[in-house]
Amino acid sequence: MSDISFTLNGRPVSYGGSATDRLLDVLRDTFDCKSVKCGCKEGECGACSVLMDGKLINSCCVAMGATQGSDIVTLEGFRTTERYKVLDKVFAQFSAVQCGFCTPGMVMAAESVLAQNPHPTEDEVREGMSGNLCRCTGYNAIVNAVLAAAKEGNGLW
Amino acid sequence: MVNGFYPQNLDEALDLLSKHDVVPYAGGTDLMVQDKPNQTYLFVGKLPELRNISEDDEYVRIGAAVTFTEALASPLVPQFMKEAVSRIAAPAIRNAGTFGGNLGNGSAKADSVLVEYATGAKICVASVRGERVIPVERFYKGRKELDLAPDELILEVLLPKLGIDDYYYHKVGGRQALAISRVSFGGLLSVEDGVITRFTCAFGAVSGTVLRYPDLEAQLVGRTVEEARGASEKVIASYAERMQLTRGRVSAEYRKDVCLNLLGDFLASKGI
Repeated sequence: MSDISFTLNGRPVSYGGSATDRLLDVLRDTFDCKSVKCGCKEGECGACSVLMDGKLINSCCVAMGATQGSDIVTLEGFRTTERYKVLDKVFAQFSAVQCGFCTPGMVMAAESVLAQNPHPTEDEVREGMSGNLCRCTGYNAIVNAVLAAAKEGNGLW
Repeated sequence: MVNGFYPQNLDEALDLLSKHDVVPYAGGTDLMVQDKPNQTYLFVGKLPELRNISEDDEYVRIGAAVTFTEALASPLVPQFMKEAVSRIAAPAIRNAGTFGGNLGNGSAKADSVLVEYATGAKICVASVRGERVIPVERFYKGRKELDLAPDELILEVLLPKLGIDDYYYHKVGGRQALAISRVSFGGLLSVEDGVITRFTCAFGAVSGTVLRYPDLEAQLVGRTVEEARGASEKVIASYAERMQLTRGRVSAEYRKDVCLNLLGDFLASKGI
């Protein structure tokens, strides 16, 4: 039986452990992607959100076997992009970060929302980010930041 | 790969399923919560045979590994199903969760399964021994108990496509998103020339399986809307008498009250 091969942040990698291991744990412990947070391990909080083949997923709910041949992007990879620079700026500008634990997942969810819909309404942002919980901000600052990113990053998404 | 098999096509998957003690894995959103790392998964999420949405004269056929997000984007999937599926969890779960998984998990809270009950859908399963098509209400034998042999794989949902436009759907959850159903309700009421031609009511999340009572539904079929209006209190009372609900995350009394309120609201919304 061969290793599990996939692309992580643009780099081909392989994993020799069990197919039932959690993507969340492997990203943190094997590949040192510490942006990926463990909040609930049941798909309820979004702190472990990453992109898998371009789609937002909860890495706690993915078995390693399902990553075979796929393209995984975590915040560590996304932060090198122009889109990230816009989100970084507006999250700071709107004080959309307090304790910061949910923030990597929020940024990945924001990227997913804007990639599908470059000019979302407020309701569409709230729906798109509805799987990401934040105990600090009360959400308005985050939603406003994403709406501002849509304006400032015009043409990037 | 340790603890996992990667079939390249359906025949290979069925062969592996007949020879090994494996659990089919499509989206993983339920299996990973169960957290049983010593299981061996049969990864079927990318099998082309399970990934299609198609239609024939009678049915929209939704492959077992079609995700909820994909169904929401498909012009073939009826609005009734889309409305229920759009309320499942949140985008990241809908990007991974599948119709086959919603069935295979065996829960009466499964939001897509409620619509399958309300519309009289059928489930197609396959094994090396052949294929079977089973009405959804027979596929569920009890709580977490399915008419699915260890060597059988769920292939597709056959969702009737005619006569399901006049639907009513309501999900009661603890919050807007990321909410498991406390009570879910879906029904159909079709009227032709003032006469009720079809009436179905499915109640989810209130017992071991989704509930339907065909004999109680028959009370309204063949009646005019006016006759039905006169009979609505009696119909609701007949459900009150029949429904034996269990306690879950919420009390049996709460579940029953909400079910009957939703039934009343459904009828009222149709002028009954």
